[in-house]
Amino acid sequence: MPIIVEKLTHTYMPGTENEHVAVDNVSLTINEGEFFGIIGHTGSGKSTFIQHLNGLVQPTSGKVTVDGFDMSDKKQRQKGRALVGMVFQYPDYQLFDSTVLDDVAFGPKNLGQSEEEAKKSAAEAMKTVGLDPELFGEKSPFELSGGEKRRAALAGIIAMKPKYLVLDEPMAGLDPSGRRDVVATIDALRRELGCTVIMVSHSMEDVARSAERIAVLNEGKLYALGTPDEIFSKTQELIDMGLDAPQTARLAEALRQKGCDVPESIYTNERFIEWFRGLKHV
Amino acid sequence: MISISEVEYSYEDGEDAKKALSGVSLEIRDGEFVAIVGHNGSGKSTLAKMLNALILPDSGTVTVFGMDTADEKLTLDIRKKVGIVFQNPDNQIVTTVVEEDVGFGPENLGVPTQEIRKRVDRALEAVGMTDYARSAPHMLSGGQKQRIAIAGVLAIRPDVLVLDEATAMLDPIGRKAVLDIAKRMNKELGITVVMITQYMEEAVIADRVVVMNEGKVAMQGTPREIFRRGDELRKIRLDVPVMVELREKLAAESLIPDTDALTVEEMAEEICPLLLKN
Amino acid sequence: MFKDITLGQYVPGDSFLHKLDPRTKIMLMIAYIVAVFLVQRIEIFALVIIFTVAVTLLSKVSITYLFKALKPMKFLLPLMFLMNLFLIKTGDLLVEWWIFKIYSDGLKNAFFIVLRLATLVAGTSLLTLTTTPIALTDGLEKLLSPLKVIKFPAHELAMMMTIALRFIPTLIEEADKIMKAQLARGADFESGNVFKRAKAMLPILIPLFVNSFRRADELAMAMESRCYHGGNGRTRMRVLCFTWRDLVAVLVMAALIAAIVISQKLIPAVF
Repeated sequence: MPIIVEKLTHTYMPGTENEHVAVDNVSLTINEGEFFGIIGHTGSGKSTFIQHLNGLVQPTSGKVTVDGFDMSDKKQRQKGRALVGMVFQYPDYQLFDSTVLDDVAFGPKNLGQSEEEAKKSAAEAMKTVGLDPELFGEKSPFELSGGEKRRAALAGIIAMKPKYLVLDEPMAGLDPSGRRDVVATIDALRRELGCTVIMVSHSMEDVARSAERIAVLNEGKLYALGTPDEIFSKTQELIDMGLDAPQTARLAEALRQKGCDVPESIYTNERFIEWFRGLKHV
Repeated sequence: MISISEVEYSYEDGEDAKKALSGVSLEIRDGEFVAIVGHNGSGKSTLAKMLNALILPDSGTVTVFGMDTADEKLTLDIRKKVGIVFQNPDNQIVTTVVEEDVGFGPENLGVPTQEIRKRVDRALEAVGMTDYARSAPHMLSGGQKQRIAIAGVLAIRPDVLVLDEATAMLDPIGRKAVLDIAKRMNKELGITVVMITQYMEEAVIADRVVVMNEGKVAMQGTPREIFRRGDELRKIRLDVPVMVELREKLAAESLIPDTDALTVEEMAEEICPLLLKN
Repeated sequence: MFKDITLGQYVPGDSFLHKLDPRTKIMLMIAYIVAVFLVQRIEIFALVIIFTVAVTLLSKVSITYLFKALKPMKFLLPLMFLMNLFLIKTGDLLVEWWIFKIYSDGLKNAFFIVLRLATLVAGTSLLTLTTTPIALTDGLEKLLSPLKVIKFPAHELAMMMTIALRFIPTLIEEADKIMKAQLARGADFESGNVFKRAKAMLPILIPLFVNSFRRADELAMAMESRCYHGGNGRTRMRVLCFTWRDLVAVLVMAALIAAIVISQKLIPAVF
């Protein structure tokens, strides 16, 4: 069963002079098992949008259902929320316990697991994200490096075994090796747990690489929805919108403007090389 | 000119203290645009904070225009010359009104009131934030806050602007704005820029790239020189810009001639003739 | 979304009152408190009430703001009234019903205390309604600066207030984000007894404090880097200066106090 968003609108401070429509009549469906990317610049409404997937905010109008559970109903929301894991951008917002293991076990305990079960789930989750429980389990979460904190925060969510995993800017602010680690972890999650991943980013580079479908939000509205091929065929539009198109897509666009014939499906280095190789053989 | 000579530094005392910097020597020339790159914990931010005496070396010296940062009497004079913009835009704005925050530095230096006004107006204009002079900082976006932080440094009229991972927490629009300002200050006002960053794409615009690893200077040279050494960079947990990676791979298969193109534009220049020939 | 939170209760405007120097306003508020306490007879209170109403009109601040300021006193005021009404047993006996006896002094005092509290709250609210928190801070710093001679940290105090004003909205926003992050991990802040609920707050409070310490650290470094070295030798971009308005305001306040004192001496008591 999917996550269905129907005509979702969210207005902050309605009826005041500061009224602001953050999400404006957005409808879409996120299917089980897919890797769904959401891109948009700051203020496009993407943060508000994903908070609805977990029932953290309530729609002004419209409806969100997770596997049939209506997220605006208090009782159903609890069940729906248990299916959706949400990892916020800054791990500093969630790490609090004295040891990493205890912190990761916080979620499972809230789900009603016993101390022992929770710690077992926590240790498993830590292994999945590449933090050895032996090595990191007894450390304070505040001693970890930026990349490790991010993975500890991720472990805290996947220990709850969510079916849908929402990642808010998982790569922002990390150095290249930290970014590589996070990408590897997400791939492992998909492979091992079959998670549905919903990744929010303003770096299209990251989304281009792995997403199967992408939603583009602009000023609260759903600007485009489609496969990466469909989305990145609009490179120039995305750049005009203030988004950072993948460099390779920009290269392809630059070549086109110089009069070269570059297919629209070229937006990653891998594809570029493949395409280029093909040309040489002709 | 800033010269750093044989600098050692560790955050904790004792035998097992891990060295943040071990034997760093580096010169930063007037008017230069230097990028310092390195992975987290490579010592690059520690080095940045040594440039205006926020951190003093355990041994070795840092001299700023001939002034030793270890000399307490010179601290204020050094900070007048070298301004730093830090990573978190929220944690460097002091007051509740934008223009007053920009005036904070000159106020500390005892600049006369009318002169502060002039400096603040000019600094806000330089970063394109004049319209927000009376705004509350917490209502601004991250990129806008960071531009205010730059204005706050410019109002002190420094010779050197240090950006200590100032773009790390920004979105692409904010990052571009900050980089453009830094480039303009360097070209138009001749301000020396030292940019600490972990984004290889940003280092491309510098005159010189210094690569830090394990508290040491691992490599330095022009961006073209440095990004020809992709394998070495990856070994020390860094990367090359996406375009350089593409170039490397194409060249490795002899699909394009060996070049030192770095940017989208340069790659397009390079590849277009090949395509049109086909 | 707490971004647009406004601190204090400042209502923007450009009235005579808004344009007064904050130092004048702080001093006038003190004089006003003195004036209210100078009034010993209830009929003289008319002067204070007329003055308060006139100043409110002058400030162009909607009267509803004053009622809002009085709202927290909606239990205290009636309580004070009733206590004075029934507990003071001097003067003439006016009404007697069952065990309740109301004396003339009780009635007088009951009205008096309520009027005093209400005008005090309304009058002092006018200060915060027409002055930005930052201007208040500046004014306080200037007024307290003579005390530096006796090592009173006037500048430091003002700087602390400024930083607090700057960071409270940031921290409120952060608390909201932390709360959402923990809610997403199944935290429950709503059920259980007081003890359990207090314990449930830890996952919010700990990250909030840890982040605040880091903020403080980074802010201190940023301030130092921008040549901050305490209040010595500091100039200000915005200099407070007195104008004719301040003079007028002081004269009016002096007139009020004089009127109170004189009328109490010269006009014979009515009640």
